[in-house]
Parts: sequence; C-alpha cells; structure tokens
Amino acid sequence: MSLSPRRMAQPDFRRSSGFSSLRPSLHRVLAYILFMMVISHMGGRVVKVGIYMNPPKVYWEEGGEPSGIFVDILDHIAAAEGWQVEYHKDTWENCLSLLQDGSVDLMPDVAYNSERDKVMDFHQNPVLYSWTQIYVKRGIALNSLLDLEGLRLAVLRNSVQAKLLQGLFSTPADSSRMVFASSFDEVLALVRDGEADAAATNFYFGRMNARKYGLEETDILLEPSTLFFAAKQGYFGDILNAIDNHLNQLKSIPDSYYYQVLNKYVFSSNKYSLPRWSILLALSLIFALLISILIGNIFRKQVRKRTAELHKANLEMEKRIEQRTEELAMAMHKAQVADMLKSAFLATMSHELRTPLNSVIGFTGILLKEMPGKINEEQSKMLSIIQGSARHLLSLINDVLDISKIEAGQLDLHYSNVNLYSLLENAIQLVGVQAAAKGLNLVFKPGSEPGDITVDERRFEQVILNLLSNAIKFCDEGEVSLSYTVKDKQLYLMVKDTGIGIPPEKQSKLFQPFVQVDMGINRKHEGTGLGLFISRRIMNLMGGDITLESEVNKGSLFTVILPLKNGGIQCK
Amino acid sequence: MQVTVLIIEDNRDNYYLMQYLLENKGYKVLGADSGWLGLEMAIHNTPSIILLDIQLPEMDGYTVLRRLRSNPFLSGIPIVVVSSYAMTGNKEQALSAGATGYIEKPIDPLRFADQIESYLKA
Repeated sequence: MSLSPRRMAQPDFRRSSGFSSLRPSLHRVLAYILFMMVISHMGGRVVKVGIYMNPPKVYWEEGGEPSGIFVDILDHIAAAEGWQVEYHKDTWENCLSLLQDGSVDLMPDVAYNSERDKVMDFHQNPVLYSWTQIYVKRGIALNSLLDLEGLRLAVLRNSVQAKLLQGLFSTPADSSRMVFASSFDEVLALVRDGEADAAATNFYFGRMNARKYGLEETDILLEPSTLFFAAKQGYFGDILNAIDNHLNQLKSIPDSYYYQVLNKYVFSSNKYSLPRWSILLALSLIFALLISILIGNIFRKQVRKRTAELHKANLEMEKRIEQRTEELAMAMHKAQVADMLKSAFLATMSHELRTPLNSVIGFTGILLKEMPGKINEEQSKMLSIIQGSARHLLSLINDVLDISKIEAGQLDLHYSNVNLYSLLENAIQLVGVQAAAKGLNLVFKPGSEPGDITVDERRFEQVILNLLSNAIKFCDEGEVSLSYTVKDKQLYLMVKDTGIGIPPEKQSKLFQPFVQVDMGINRKHEGTGLGLFISRRIMNLMGGDITLESEVNKGSLFTVILPLKNGGIQCK
Repeated sequence: MQVTVLIIEDNRDNYYLMQYLLENKGYKVLGADSGWLGLEMAIHNTPSIILLDIQLPEMDGYTVLRRLRSNPFLSGIPIVVVSSYAMTGNKEQALSAGATGYIEKPIDPLRFADQIESYLKA
C-alpha cells in the first residue's frame, strides 16, 4: 500500500535527507511547519481515491503516476475545485472494502447497479458508457449474435462477459465452446493464435488493444453499463454534485477537456483512416504502374521484332497474331481502368461541387427570405441573380452526372405503377409559372382513358418536364400543348408549340449533347444543351424513343413513344 | 422539452447553414466535425435527432450510422443523412444502413427546418 500525493507542494523528505549534514536549526523547522499549514489550508480539502489497474480507464505505469480517463478527468475537476487528490493504488476488491471502512473517499470506474446503490453513493451524469464488444480476426464478418453460433468464444474467467455469454448459450454443448483466459490480453491472444474464433472484452480495453493482436471490432454490442465515481455512502454529496456540474458542462462542448481525454486514450492510438495524401499516392501508383506496363510492353515488342526476324515466316505470322492479341488485351485493360477512374472522378466531382453550392443556394435563400434582416430592392435583385445562377450551375451538374451514369450504364430504372393523368397534370402545374411569365397559353388535352402505366416515375417526369420547358423557352407567342393517345400497345405523348421551329438540316443534331440550334455568340436561350440528349437516352432505356417534326416559324412537335408494359393502360 | 439536434458535418459553411436554419426554428444545435466525435457527442448528449454527412474524416458516415444503430443507448434516435452524394444507390445504401431519412444537398433553405421537424414527429 502506498499513498501517492499528486499536484500539491508536499515536502520531499528524500531530497532534504540528502542535505542532512546542514542540520536545519529549530526556528527553520518551525517556520517550515507553519508554511506547510498555510499551504495545506489554501489547498482546500483532501480527497482520497482508491484506484486499481483497468487501462485505459484507470491505471498506472510501473512506479509511475496514476493515469487514465477517470484519473485525468478527476484531476481536471479537482484543479478547478481546489481539491487535493491522493491516489491509493490497490486491487479492485481491496478498494471496495477500503471504501466501506472509510479509508478512501472515492472510487473511479464503478458500474452502476441497484445492489451497489444500496451501499455507495453515485453521481447522476455518467463519466463513460461501456458495453461488451465482440472482436474477430480481420476480414471475418459477424453481424449479429446469431453468427456467434458454433464459434469458440474467448472470455476472461469469472468476468462479466463470461457470465453474460454463458447465460446466452446455456446448453452444455454450447458452454464447451467457451475458452477461458486469465487476462484480457490473453483473451485477445487466444483469437490471434487460432485457439478461439471470437473474443469478448469491454469496449474500452478492446478499442485500445484489439489491433495489436490483429483483431477487428464487430458491430455486436452487449450489456450496456454506465460508469461513475462512487463514494462512501452519506458523506460526499457535495463532491458528487461538483463532479456532475463539471461533467454536464464538459460534455456539451465539442472540444472540451473531456473529449480531449477520450481522444487521447481511446482514439488517438486507433486512427486508421486513409489520409488524403494516401489516395493521391495510390492514384499516382496506379498511374506509374500503367506507365511501367506500357514501357515494358514497348521493350517486349522490340525484342519480339528482333526474334521474329530470325524465325521462319510461318512462325512470324503466329507471333504477330499473339502480339495483336496482347495489344488488344492491354488496350482493353487500359480502357477499363480509365473508365473506372472516370466514373470515380465524376462521382467525386459531383460531390465536391455540390458541397459549396449547398452554402451558396442555402445562404442566398436565407438572405432573400430576410431571415437575418431587411434587404433593399437592389440587393434583392442581385441576390436573385446569384440564386438563379447557382440553380443553373446545379442543373448543369445534375445533367453531367446523368450523362456519366448513362455512359457508364449505371442509370438504373425503378419501375412502379403510376397514374398517367396525375403525373401529367403535375408536370403542367410545375411549368405553369414559366408559361404564364411569357404570356403563353398552356393547354393539357387528356386522352380518352386516364389510368395506370408502369414506368420509372422520376425519370419519365424528367423527360416530360424537359420537353415542356424547352417548348416554353423557344416559344414567344401562342400556345404550348400536351396530349396523348394509345395505339398498338404504345403510348404516344405529344408536346406541341407554336414557336420558332427547327430547320430540317439541324433536326438530327438536336439530340446530340451540348447542342442548341442557335449556337452563335449572341445565343439568347439559356440551357445546357444536354436535356434532349438525356431525355432521348432515358426513353431508349425504357424501350421507347422521342421523335421530332418541325417547321421554321410555325412550331415543333416532340412525340414521346413508350411501349406499355402490360399491353395497354390499365383502367381504374 | 427543447429539441436538441446533433449535426455531424465536417464542412464548416454547410454546418453553419443548417445550424442557422435550425436555431431559427428554436432548436438547440450541437456540432461535431468528425465521425468519432459525432459518435461520442451522441452517446453523451442523447440528442432528439441526428443529421449526418457521409463523407467525414476518420470514420465515414455509413460506419457512424451502423455504430449509432447498434448502440443500445441510441438506437431509437432518428438519423437523417444529409449528403452531397447523388449517384445511384447512395440513398438506398443510407436507408439500408438504418437511416430514417435522406436529404440531398443542396438543401432547400425554406423547407429544411420543416423537413427535420417532420422526421422528429415520425
């Protein structure tokens, strides 16, 4: 047993005995005693704390200072409250009895339960939450308790985990699957050495040590518990209250000392995410690999050429074929890698562009709504321009993303039964404002039988909206109409306008990407030029098509053709 | 009782945007800028709802989502993924990992707070 006072200016007798030949005079000793009384008075109350080994929550290095999550947090609170903490190092069982007879005041890392509540006092706000977690060798997937069936489980003898798992697997055959160890370290070692398949330890121990043994945590959590400081019953209400007050405050601030301590003990040894530079490194390695394969291939080709000269003509033929095949395989491989990189690049770019756009669109909306305060007309006009541009940028990003999905064959269709009439009516409502702003007459002419069709609703709506808003965009007076008929198990959906029309020589180019008929510098119509291309590809994927009839200065008629999955519209 | 929203988001501007809209609604907002800190803040503050980004430093959003869902203290809290990922399957992946909802960025500033409220009631 040893009392180890911390943080306070206590006399160091070992050092003063080293100078004992100086023989301090009596008044010096008296002055020293007086000084110590003053110091200890200023130091406030002494709190005696019983601690034991349970890293990383409470522990001490051989001959060193106590440390751990509980110790650091208690020291932090003690410094603020002016307490003097004395740590008493012992075993868990001894600490419990010392707490009972009053030799120590406080114990860290005590799990709350109703039996302990009868003999000790707890504070309210837990210092930590803990639970039992299951660990396995890297690469083994365990998702639920059921997956544990048939596996050999390593546990600490007489531990909470042993009791818990024996309770869960209660038949004798199952209990033979338990492998007992005498320390948590041994529990993990058993799995590493293949003598058990899965290990059960408390979350904090596992978090800190599992990696050392080549093990990985699973998502299986059991037996949650709350961990507190416990005090001898009836004496230390004020200390427990003070601990609660500090914890409440510390926990609600993200970068408080509390989280720094958690980070230090639980997470810092455990960060194994990929830093950005490693992704760059991986990409450049792939690039370097490709280059070296290329160079290797060039050398090989040269060698082959020389050898081929020495060979007979028939062999030469064979070699050439082989060479071509190899080149072809190489080119295939390169194309596949490039394709993969392109898809990954597009997904990343879309993500990276959306994140700042989120701020632009979000804050512009807030300012225009005058949430933070009034704005004047000029400011409102400018903010509206920012908003419009940002939305335009967003639709560009969405279109580019759609195209990349189409080209990568990743545009998946999700079919469902949709009411045709309400889908079209909804589309008409969405573009109503746009048409009204230009003074156009927008007409919906429903066909004979409104009913359900089987279609990817979102994509089909995207096509119709694209055609309608195009029609409105390129029509300055007159009307835009939407109608449909069913013929030969196909749905024909017509979008007709009385707009500028499209000259015959330009009609075929219209469905190519980035094309608007009027591509000059004084292009007056905004748009990505991608909409029609995307729309037609979507309809192709659904087994249909989009066709165009148009006459300059009279107008255009776009017809969407959709084969009906069930042979016709299902009437309600 | 006041609604507490925990936002796990590493982009400061996006965080401020959501914080502004939700505080304007009268909610208390807590923030975490990494996956593990979000997990810890969730455990220690038991928020009413969690908004979660997917691309996060150290521990990605899907992992955070699975950990939150398998934690017995937190499994009942609604978690809404707010992400810039718009490729096919991102939403499905989030929902199958246990998300209550999925909101794609850019968010609609005029509707956002109401969307969150509806997840709270659900």
